[in-house]
Amino acid sequence: MRAKRENLFHLLEPLLPQVEHPARYLDHEWGSVQDQEGPFHLCMVYADVYEVGQPNLGVAILYNQVNEQEGMSCERCYLPWKDMAELMRGSGVPLLSLEGAAPLASFDAIGFTLAHELIATNVLEALDLAGIALTSAERDEDDPIILAGGPSAWNCEPLADVFDAVLLGDGEESIVEVCACIRDARAEGVPRAEVLRRLARVPGTYVPSLYEVRVDEGATRWGRAVPRAGEDVPQVVLKRCVNDFAATPPVAQRIVPYMGIVQDRLSLEVLRGCARGCRFCQAGMTYRPVRERPAEQVVSASVEGLLASGHNEISLTSLSTTDHSQCARILNDMNEALDGKGIRVSIPSQRLDSFGVEMAAAVAGGKRGGLTFAPEAGSQRLRDVINKNVSEEDLERAARNAFEGGWRRMKLYFMMGLPTETDEDVVGIARMAERVLEIGREVVGRGPKSGVSVSISVAVLVPKAYTAFQWAGQLHPDEVRRRQQLLLSEIRDRAIRVSYHDADVSLVEGALSKMGRAGFALVRRAWELGCSFDAWTSEFRFDLWCRAAEELGLDLADVACEEFPLSAALPWDHTSPGVSKGFLQREWLRAVEGVTTPDCTRESCVGCGVCPALHVRNVIQGVRS
Amino acid sequence: MTGQPYEGRPQDMPVKAELPRLRVEYVKDSRLAFLGHLDLIATVERCIRRARLPFSIGNGFARRLRIQFTQALPVGASSSCEYFDLRLTEPIEAEEALERLRRATPPALAPSRAAYVPGRLPALEAWLDRSTWELEALAAPYDARDAERGVREVLERGELTYLRGEKEKRVDVAATLAGFEARDVEGGVAMTLDTRLSGCALRPQVLLDAVADVLGTGRPRALRVRRTAQAHEENGRLVEPFGPFDQTGGTPLS
Repeated sequence: MRAKRENLFHLLEPLLPQVEHPARYLDHEWGSVQDQEGPFHLCMVYADVYEVGQPNLGVAILYNQVNEQEGMSCERCYLPWKDMAELMRGSGVPLLSLEGAAPLASFDAIGFTLAHELIATNVLEALDLAGIALTSAERDEDDPIILAGGPSAWNCEPLADVFDAVLLGDGEESIVEVCACIRDARAEGVPRAEVLRRLARVPGTYVPSLYEVRVDEGATRWGRAVPRAGEDVPQVVLKRCVNDFAATPPVAQRIVPYMGIVQDRLSLEVLRGCARGCRFCQAGMTYRPVRERPAEQVVSASVEGLLASGHNEISLTSLSTTDHSQCARILNDMNEALDGKGIRVSIPSQRLDSFGVEMAAAVAGGKRGGLTFAPEAGSQRLRDVINKNVSEEDLERAARNAFEGGWRRMKLYFMMGLPTETDEDVVGIARMAERVLEIGREVVGRGPKSGVSVSISVAVLVPKAYTAFQWAGQLHPDEVRRRQQLLLSEIRDRAIRVSYHDADVSLVEGALSKMGRAGFALVRRAWELGCSFDAWTSEFRFDLWCRAAEELGLDLADVACEEFPLSAALPWDHTSPGVSKGFLQREWLRAVEGVTTPDCTRESCVGCGVCPALHVRNVIQGVRS
Repeated sequence: MTGQPYEGRPQDMPVKAELPRLRVEYVKDSRLAFLGHLDLIATVERCIRRARLPFSIGNGFARRLRIQFTQALPVGASSSCEYFDLRLTEPIEAEEALERLRRATPPALAPSRAAYVPGRLPALEAWLDRSTWELEALAAPYDARDAERGVREVLERGELTYLRGEKEKRVDVAATLAGFEARDVEGGVAMTLDTRLSGCALRPQVLLDAVADVLGTGRPRALRVRRTAQAHEENGRLVEPFGPFDQTGGTPLS
């Protein structure tokens, strides 16, 4: 039954003095849409605490998009921290939206943003706090329609039982179509099952309950999803793509939070998509094609956005901002326009060459904090395997320029467990760090006061769906630990610091990335045992995840480390970002041979299949260097 | 190294003390009472930027606004009289500044007054050393007379210790408690508390917890706290936040 729509803030207010960071629950921020008349009500949920969820650009884009529609309104909801959740359960307060403080169970539709795999248990926690059945099959006629989307919707199979519909790809157009479809179907009074069938006809919408999993020859042990008998749904659901990206509003974040949030700045998405083709990168495949905003738009929207919000920092975000063909001009014009205003401009990722260092200098002004590069692998051979098209010389030149430019602290990101990796490659990470340190000392001097230091951060590769490595198994945790020790033993200079990602966390992520629909039993059991906020190191409970797996007769390492045959039907083959499976297979074969593939925004088409499949093309404003 | 020794500043750049110092009074109301001090500071800065006041930027690494705030309110306490001092690069009409701020500020932090104050006054946080608080203990298990007796007993003990997180705090009650009155009202006890800044601040909640302890009663169901006045104590007189600032002004202390 649909809950009554009413403002229940008076139930939450008495709990505020008893919780950590009550500002998480206040709402009423500058720029938030307080007028939530509806009559169609959507609530966007980011299933983590306010300060983690509020910076999310996807939620901001969809929030604006829906609120601009006549007759539709959109509110936000974040997961209360554990202290508040306990108090809410104790006093019978259900999960509420922020703007209207209305029970989630009273909404027409609820949209979850899947930012990463480890948010899975929090999705269940949110639904449970809201008093909404966890699975689509258990929901009543009148219950809200539960939607999902976002980067981790690519292989959402472990949560497929939860969602009534999943929006694939760019959501700015499809969210409105999906809401309209639900509104119209409800107005006609059609049964819930029929509402879902109609949703499946909205392009880019995947309705999991209309597909069943078949484990047969040619599939992996997790099976393949095929349309249920008698259901008129596509064999493969293709993502949505906004081709005229520059026509979308450049400043999506209009809400100015009261409390400090994890990315406490205005973000402006300067381009979408990346065609560099790194073979481990899921976003690089799922966000294609590349679409740049024109420089004038970026600069004027930045200035207007900063004046309207009052932020003192702006981040020019994208998968690879320094690849924007007008990057230098944008930064130059922004510095000019913002001079003397005490505004900081930041770019999230540094390109590993001299141009990257130049751009870092352009945003840093006179300041020199640390500079971060991501060579990803320790040898040229392995960088060719992953298609990270940077050479030893690029890196050395970039490091030299950076030290000459005044930087002293260098941070290098690497991955361990890349396909074909040998001990030599691992030792190569140490050698590369030493080489960078040596360059620093040559430039700056050797004294203890030179302040030159290098820190390296090493993650474990989690092979992701829709990448060239989707067939690969994750490196076994025992072997991860051995290689970590090997690397540590090779680092002799105290000016080099090493940090690792938690191998256990990566293992759970890896298992969830592989499992397909059967993963839901694991997620559900882990949540029942008490797992939530798994992305928080302080809250991650590997023991409970192992117990959940064991109870289901599974071994996490066994699941995550399994290799799939190149010919196998994969658990996620029924949804597609437009990149063809044939292209990914070719990329896998080229990877193993160490053959690189160029970037189609700089050289000719590489045949990934996105443009013909989606009837789109790259939109580059100038000429990429 | 260039620039050594001290090069001196360009003659056309005013030093900080020469920059116009605009004092703004604002409220902290309703649910924003739960906004912590650091979040409040960031929020006010954003309001100032939105209001497009000609704010001055410091020379530090972080390039922050030149702004000062009053003593932090406890989280959950509201106020009718918070202040910030903002250095401007040029003087604009105080009324105009106030109006621009009003338009750029959430109603729960609405600015109520603005005026220029002498540039060389001490830092706001230390200068406003007296606070008046209106407290309301809902469903208190004691009445007004008990409350006053409890406060007298706490005062006689001289010092009050309490735990803030894992840190033990010691408050000199004799130095920080400047006045206390209680009256019975419907639903509980209303109190007026005057505090003085001296070392560790006396928080209303801490005082009333100590009162409940000496009385041997439980605690009220809820405590509403509101700061209703701030002032500077000088030579036995109270100087209001907006002055007059000469030695003879202000209200004599009885």
